[in-house]
This record gives sequence, structure tokens and C-alpha cells, in this order.
Amino acid sequence: MGDLLAGFAVALTPANLLWGLAGTTLGTAVGVLPGIGPALTVALLLPVTYNLDPTAALIMFAGIYYGAMYGGSTTSILLNTPGESSTIVTAIDGHQMARNGRAGAALATAAIGSFVAGTLATLALSLTAPLMVRLALAFGSAEYFALMVLAFVMVTTMLGESRLKGWLSLLLGLTLGFVGIDGLSGHARFTFGIPYLLDGIDPVIVAIGLFAIGETLWVASRGPAIDELLPVRGSLMMTAEEWARSWRPWLRGTAIGFPLGALPAGGAELPTLMSYAIEKRLSRRPEEFGHGAIEAVAGPEAANNASAAGTLVPLLTLGLPTSATAAVLLAAFQQFGLQPGPLLFEHESALVWGVIASLYIGNAMLLVLNLPLVGLWVKLLSIPRPWLYGGILVVASLGAFSVHRSAGDLLLMAAIGIVGFLLRALDAPVAPVMIGLILGPAAEQHVRRALSISQGDWTVFVTHPLSAALLAISVSIALWGVFARRLAPPG
Amino acid sequence: MILSDYNRPVRLLAAAMILLTPAFVTAQPLVITAPAAPGGGWDQTARAMQRVLAEIEPGVSVQVDNVPGAAGTIGLARFIQSERGNPGALMVTGLVMVSGVVLNGSPVSLAGTTPIARLTAEYEVIVVPRSSRFRSLGELIDAFKQDPGSVSWGGGSAGGTDDLLVRLMAEQIGLPASSVNYIAFAGGGAALAAVLGGQLSAAVSGYAEFAGQIAAGQLRVLAISSASRVSGIDAPTLREAGIALDLSNWRAIVAPPGLSDAEEEALTARITKLATSPKWRSTLEQNGWADDFLTGPPLRQFLLAEQARIEDVLRRLSATNSRAPTTLSVTLTPSSLPNAVVMIFLGALTLTAVTTTRRSLAFDRQGLRMAIAIVTALLVLPIAFVTAGFVASCTMLFAIASTTLRAQSLTRRAIAIDLFVGAAFSIALFLLFTRGLGVMLPGFF
Repeated sequence: MGDLLAGFAVALTPANLLWGLAGTTLGTAVGVLPGIGPALTVALLLPVTYNLDPTAALIMFAGIYYGAMYGGSTTSILLNTPGESSTIVTAIDGHQMARNGRAGAALATAAIGSFVAGTLATLALSLTAPLMVRLALAFGSAEYFALMVLAFVMVTTMLGESRLKGWLSLLLGLTLGFVGIDGLSGHARFTFGIPYLLDGIDPVIVAIGLFAIGETLWVASRGPAIDELLPVRGSLMMTAEEWARSWRPWLRGTAIGFPLGALPAGGAELPTLMSYAIEKRLSRRPEEFGHGAIEAVAGPEAANNASAAGTLVPLLTLGLPTSATAAVLLAAFQQFGLQPGPLLFEHESALVWGVIASLYIGNAMLLVLNLPLVGLWVKLLSIPRPWLYGGILVVASLGAFSVHRSAGDLLLMAAIGIVGFLLRALDAPVAPVMIGLILGPAAEQHVRRALSISQGDWTVFVTHPLSAALLAISVSIALWGVFARRLAPPG
Repeated sequence: MILSDYNRPVRLLAAAMILLTPAFVTAQPLVITAPAAPGGGWDQTARAMQRVLAEIEPGVSVQVDNVPGAAGTIGLARFIQSERGNPGALMVTGLVMVSGVVLNGSPVSLAGTTPIARLTAEYEVIVVPRSSRFRSLGELIDAFKQDPGSVSWGGGSAGGTDDLLVRLMAEQIGLPASSVNYIAFAGGGAALAAVLGGQLSAAVSGYAEFAGQIAAGQLRVLAISSASRVSGIDAPTLREAGIALDLSNWRAIVAPPGLSDAEEEALTARITKLATSPKWRSTLEQNGWADDFLTGPPLRQFLLAEQARIEDVLRRLSATNSRAPTTLSVTLTPSSLPNAVVMIFLGALTLTAVTTTRRSLAFDRQGLRMAIAIVTALLVLPIAFVTAGFVASCTMLFAIASTTLRAQSLTRRAIAIDLFVGAAFSIALFLLFTRGLGVMLPGFF
């Protein structure tokens, strides 16, 4: 508790409050705009924050992450085009509510639900992080490797329609991750004698290529489309009945979102889908689902915000990113020479707790930014699509170039963009590429380190109880994935 | 608006004055290449020099240019090629570049530069956790001699100062460098968690990396790699433990090849003035860097000796590593896992290709043409970026993308509007990034 209070002292300085406000505002904007997400935004901002105080920069990045979770719902409800993958579920009933003239209530339940879930989940983060840190100190290379195997299995089993395509994305990320000088031996791998490749493939360039370029090409390839933007109709005040129908889904969404976000399962898609399914099952009016049920907006919106806080638990305590945005956030920590993990809480206590405290403040800011000011955000959606995507391409090029001030990075960005487009065309999930790229080399180093320490004895992975347990869970999830598919009726 | 219009001539005048100032003072403007990303030791050294020079040579422009990559060898190659004969160019270098040249098979080495001065040193310490059974370096070395594999050493990346120290130490006590069970981490800080957790026998890194844990009593220092004891650090030197070895993570400053003797002397004089200034002394203290100033012929001799001993140990190491493993146990080489992953990836790709061809991907014909137009613009962009500058190339990109996406109502007027919006957006971004955020972008128009 003392740490958290000290964190508030850091987060409440005027400068850090301003960075938090900048982050939440920017986050809401990118959440509202289709085509740009928090992963891409943080990636774009990395090169320009080199000289900033790390605490200020990370407070801003955390604000962007939370803000995008709020802003995404606006687009889903009014435009039926989810601004973020985490608000796909919100679009189903949220847009129907808007069509029925209850856009105001849908926006309100989304924003208030996000606030409730965000605050409760941040509280859960403050309570569980110190416990995780104590557990994490017992983690050696064998345990880290087992944990990463679990992340790989979960990401590929849980995301997307087909496991083959999940693995395809993950393996692509792993392959890209191996490019460059091997940290353990100093050998160059997959560099083909090109000096440019010696330092490996920068995750920031990959994030920009996959998310900005890939998405733009995908939108272009589907041909000219006309979206119908619905006006905000109906009062932003929810009726007593709407409150009564909303509060339980908010709490259930939080309870689903936080633990699932903390598990290495690739972000907010899964918790939002689960929340939707559970609300539909529990509802006394399941027939309303799909036609504008307020529970179907309240639950998933709470779940996606809670999962954002959940994601921060393994990121901060273990250095393990479980979503694409977390992967980019990890790169942000590393840019400042900080390695998330148990020692971060010891060495940089003020920074970590300052960031966590800023999340409480950010949530309050976001409620204010999103409810009364929703009309302002809707204006963003009136930017003509050709200009929006033209602007995204320009900003992406600027961001990719400024990472190393190298024109070669622009070529890499374009190439990764084409790959991102092909993955979308194949209906393969994109997030596993980022997870594989970041965790792949780390997992490999941990295997080899564990084996060096044990002098080549492979049994370390099963004789260490924690690592054995994690590997057993991974195997059962993989098997469950295979058999659940077999047992399921076709179609 | 009115204010900025009023300010404009003033600002232009100020800019003109800054541009003209060097013409009136004798000192040459300098560009110091830091062959690493911002934040690392080389970058910190370059920026510290920049700050001190700004004080002792007011009015002289000193810029820092980061050229990161491959242990500095990318910066080294660029420095030697494009700065030849330029008396206003300097580059920061250090021990890690000497080994980087060998490990990366770099075609150029420090021998291709003009050494100016060695500036700083950071010493390495060997630490064990408080609970360790090793009380002194002698005990650790005894265990190491008895069964080299049983002692695991952790530290920064392979070929770095930490790795080199342990390998040189092994050779010094009569063991082959390849017998060291060295476990590389991203840096000394990352190795810290492993040594505190008792997974490593000992950790090796710069003193600063461990200072906090040493002060807190969590780590015990067994030895320091300096030639003589360092005040404030309670640790014996390697020599005191009977190992005739000292190694420091030194940093030096070099000029490009092809300078005249007079130019070399002028640069040496300026750097000497910098290194003896009180401001530089306080900078050293703040960063925990030891003063290790050396110039002229002794510096050349030092660099040749460092290069010789590091090349030797790394060559012997790679010679033993490339030999076929003698045991039958399954060991992982640096390429075994990557090759396995690529094989499985290609398998998954083939499987996906086979299962996808039957299903039509159902692309919109016009849409595909639009995507191809954007891809073409993106592929031209890297060239345009360097030759035509940021604003022109990004205006082009914006206009091509938005006119392509517009598709149906493609009039001359619409294209003109797209061009205009693109130019306005690019110029705004350019000004924001170059003026507001200090990011250097190529060219204006």
C-alpha cells in the first residue's frame, strides 16, 4: 500500500498528470479511428520519446492503452466498424442499439462499464502484482521457457478460426525473431551477409508494417465501401432499467477480463467473446441478443478494459507480453534500459507504482473525456476515409524512419505490410506474429541458458516443479484444442 | 498568427547568425558519431563531450550523430568510408568495438581510424550471492580448475567485456577459453536476477551494474579487474589473487583516416583541453567513470595490444567451437532451434497454401488494383525519402493512397485537393517533428 501511495505522489505531479492526459486523449482518438490501434500508436511514439523521462513516457503509453479500450466502442456503436479488435463484439449489439435510437445509452453503458471495470481491475493489478513478483523471483530459465511455451500454445489455440493459421503467424514471428546476432554466442543467423540484418528485425518496424500498412492494404483491397455513420441519438443518461441491466454484466465482465488478460492468450478478443456468450446464457431475454441488448454492450466493454489491466500483470512482473500492445510496451521499457520483471519493482519502485497509480487517474480522466465529449470524438469519424488512410501511411513512414533514421527500415516496413495483408487475406490472426517475434528469441535463450547451467541435462524442464506444471498445462491445452475440434459437430 | 508573423524575420536572423558564427571563431564545428542507439555508454560519452565542449568552446557547433548497429561496426564502416579526411568528424569507440569487429567479420577495424584519445574506463567486478560457498576468488578459481563446467558465469552479451574477462582469466590460469561455461544475458542487470536467484555460480559485469546490491549486502565482490585497487570499492584486484590480468571497459575517441599531422594535433589539443577541464572531471564523477586519459604514441601502442589479445582469445575460441562435438549428448547449437522453426514454418506455409487454393479468396478486382498501386508507392518511398526529402515523398504517398482509395469520383479537382491536403499534412508533421520534437528528417522539398 505504501508503494501505491508513493506511486500516486509520482503520478500526481503536474507534468505527469499532463502526460497522462495526453496519453488518454490520444488513446481515445486512436481507439475511435479505424485502422490505428494502441500498439501502432505506441510504436510510432517510441522514437520521439527517447529523450523523455521514462516515467512520463510510460504513463503516457499506459494512458494510450487504456484510452484505446474506451474509444474503440464509439466506432463500433456508431459506425459498426470496430476501431479495435477488442470491440468487435461491442459492434454486434451496440450498433443495433444505435439503430434503435438508443446510441446514447449504448455509449454510456460502454463508458461507465469501462470505468468500473478499469478501476476494479487496476485495483486487482495493485494487489496481485506484489504477489506475482514474489513468485517470479523463483523463476529460472527453465521456468521462463515453460511459461513462454504456454504463451505460444495459448495464443495459437485461442486466437482466430484455425489453429493452423495461428501457428503459421506464430512461426513467422519466431522466424523473424531469430534474424540477427545470437545474444548467447555472438553468431549471426539468417543475415545472408547483409549488415543491415545483424541487429535483427526491430519489433517496432514490424508493428508498424503489420498494423498500419497491412490494414491499409486490406481496406483498399476490399474495394470502395461506404460506411453509414449514425448520429448520437437518445439521452446519454441511462434509465433506471438500463442501470439495472448493466451493473451485473460490468462486474462479470471484469471478473472474466482480468484473469484472461493476465493469461498469455493474446489480448482482449477472447475475454470479450466469453463475456458476450456468458451474458447471453444468463440473460432472461436471450432473443434480444443481436438486436440491441444492453447487456451485450456492458459485459464485453467491461471485459476489454479489465483485460488491459490483466495484461499488465505478467508484463510488469515477468516481462512477458501477452498481447500485441503489451509486446510494443515491452519494447518501450527496453528503450529506456528497463527490463520488466521482479527486479523492476525493486529498482524502479517509484516508476512502476507511478505508472500503476496513473491508471486510476487515467480511468477517471477517460470517463470525463468519453461521456460528455463523445460528440467531439464522433467528428473524427467524419474525416474522409481516403485521407484517413493516406495520413496513416504518412505517419507510419515517419515513425518507421525515425526509429534508426534508416531508409532501409521503410523497405522492411513495406515488406512486412505486404505480409500483414496476406495474413489478413488468409484470415490468419496477426497478434501471434508480434508475440513470436518478441518471445521467440527469449524462449530460445532460456532453453540454452537452462541447459548450460545444468550442463546439458534436459531433465531440468521436468524436475523443476514450476516448469513441469507449466509444460503440463501447455500440453493439455494443446490436446484439448485438437480434441475439442474433433468432437465438435461439423459446421 | 500575428505574433508568429512578427517573429519570423527575427527567427530567420537568429538562424542566419547561428549558421555564420563558426566563420568568425577558429575552432572547427564537430560532429561526434556515437556508433550506438541513444542511451548506451557510447551515446552517453558523446553527449557528455557535447555538453562539456559547449561550455569550454562557446559558440562552436557540436552535434551527436547516432549510427547504431552490430556492436558499433556499422557506425565504424560508415565513419571510415564517408568521413575520410574530414577534420570535423570524431567517433566514440571502445573495447566492445574491438571484439565486435572480429565477431561480425567486419571488413574495417579501428586500425583504419586516427586515434585521438582514450578518455574513460569502467572496471569489471566478479560477484557471488551472499549465500555462496565461495568466500574468495581463490576458492572460486579452485572449483573452476577442478571442473570448469560446474562453475557457471553470467554476464552481458557474448563477446562483450564480461565474456572476455572470464575467457582471458581462464587462459591465464592455463585452461582453454572454450572451457568456460559462460551464460550470456542482455546485460549485467539481467544477469543480476539469475545470480541472486542462485542459478549462477558467479556474475561478471561493470561495477555500476551491481553497486546497489553490493551496498545492500546481497552480493559479495570477489575481485575487481583494475590494475590497482580502486578507492571506494572494497575488493582485491585479480593480480592480488595471482592472476596476471587487468581489463577495463575503456572508451576512446577517434578521428577519420586521411588527416594531416596539423589537423590531428589540433584535434588532440582540443580533446586534451576537454579532458582536463573541471566540468569533465565532474562529469566523470557523476557517471562513475574512471579517468583513463591517454594520447599520442602510447595510445597507439595500447590499441594495438588490446586488438592483439582480444583477437587472439576470440580466434582460439571460435576454432574450438567449430570442432565437431565429441560427446553423443544432444546439444543445441546457435542454429539448431532456428533451423527447426524455419522448417516447421515452411511446412505450415505449404499446408496453408494447399488448403487455401481451393477456396476462392474472393478479392474485389478493383480493390486488388488499389492495393497494388499503394504497394508500388510504398516501394518507391525509401528512394524518394532520401533523394526528394520527407515532405515531397510523403505528399506523393498521401496523394497516391487517397486518390486510389477515392476510386469512383476521380476528377482532376479531387486529385488537386488530395495533393494539397497531403502537402499540408506532411509539412505540419515535418515542422512538428523537426522543430518540436528534435527528430532529424531528410531534406525539405
